[in-house]
Amino acid sequence: MAARPARDTSQSSDPPVACSGLVRRFGHRDALSGFDLEVARGEVLLLVGPNGAGKTTLLRVLATVLRPTEGDVAVEGCALPGQARKVRGKVGFLAHEPLVYPELTVTENLQLYAALHGVGDERVAEVRDRVGLGRRGNDRAAELSRGMRQRLAIGRTLLHAPSLLLLDEPTAALDEDGRSVLREVLAEGGRTVLAATHEPDWFAGVATRQVSVRAGRVAA
Amino acid sequence: MRAFRALVRKDLVLELRTREVVPAMLVFLLAVFTLVRFALGSSRLTGGSRAATGMLWAVVVLTSLLALTRAFAQEREHGIWDGLLGAPVERWIVWAAKACSLWVFLALTQVVAVPLFWLFFLQQGPSPSIPVLCAALLLADAGIAVLGALLAGLASAGRAREVLLPVLFLPFAVPLVLVASDLSVATISLQPSGLDTLKRLGFLAAYDTIFALLGWALFEYVVEE
Repeated sequence: MAARPARDTSQSSDPPVACSGLVRRFGHRDALSGFDLEVARGEVLLLVGPNGAGKTTLLRVLATVLRPTEGDVAVEGCALPGQARKVRGKVGFLAHEPLVYPELTVTENLQLYAALHGVGDERVAEVRDRVGLGRRGNDRAAELSRGMRQRLAIGRTLLHAPSLLLLDEPTAALDEDGRSVLREVLAEGGRTVLAATHEPDWFAGVATRQVSVRAGRVAA
Repeated sequence: MRAFRALVRKDLVLELRTREVVPAMLVFLLAVFTLVRFALGSSRLTGGSRAATGMLWAVVVLTSLLALTRAFAQEREHGIWDGLLGAPVERWIVWAAKACSLWVFLALTQVVAVPLFWLFFLQQGPSPSIPVLCAALLLADAGIAVLGALLAGLASAGRAREVLLPVLFLPFAVPLVLVASDLSVATISLQPSGLDTLKRLGFLAAYDTIFALLGWALFEYVVEE
């Protein structure tokens, strides 16, 4: 039987995120061009910058869905891409898209991701209630509003109790209730968060640091 | 194993709800059988049962392309690849689950196709051996599914995927279909030795095994950006 996930709060000496000279190239274009960053455990770090600056690419590399082209990247002490599989269970990635199947119900989507992450089904109901979708469990994702789908995406991200959250514009389309849920998650503590956002003011009181990204690197 | 089961179940549930793949395959094969039957009128296909059996295999390959082009459509259209690739499961499990659901779709279609084929073309004259034809179909379906899931994963990253997939798939599928067709045709008028039949079935099984091993080893690199 799959176990209920326990958040990995081990105080490893390795920083949750460490990038040095990270380059990610698409064809001839460098989306990341020598990105250097170190994030301390428990930090809530905001990535700000214009569209196309490389924020999403950075989060996708850290989530192990994109391979770095050059440079050193380590997440939770594991070097990428070599130890990517060890990283995946520790990272929760909230992307632009909710990453759910529109024709599956809320519960079915969460059950699928629970199976992929080796998490027990009892956790599905817990997370579904937590993000305010308790009464919508049998509704297909396609029937949900954009904000409700974003809540479902937040639930999917939290299912396996990751120690590192990678959030790509997490406030997009969320209503006030949804934002309250997100704020609670961010305020919980004991978890490291990297959030790319165009609304840094919304994170006031929660964020511990802000990094400006331009042209694929940390702006001076 | 739980992840594999969940992925297969997901594909079957999605097909039950969207009806995107199996009905399209059934409509296609029914259209081909009907057109050919009406074109023939009351006469038989030149070449008799041998030509009809060859036509069945051509239809099997072409209908399978319909399933393959939709194989990773949901993942691609809704950006779900990142969710699957970011999960802590071996990536070959995603490929194996897709191959398994493709095999189910192909087999389901043939449950309808074979009786229709009999009704339309084999009422008179000799027929291929049903057990051999069924064995050949099941093994060929497995080959199409393991190869198709690998190539569909590869094509899903490209822009011209609808063109790329047949171009990649058909050359690799030719040896499989040639042997499967030869195997079923040989049972019509000849009395092939059991050894010959087993040799050809063995070829199909070897083909399935080789492409299953390739899928297992390569899928991770095929879907990696």
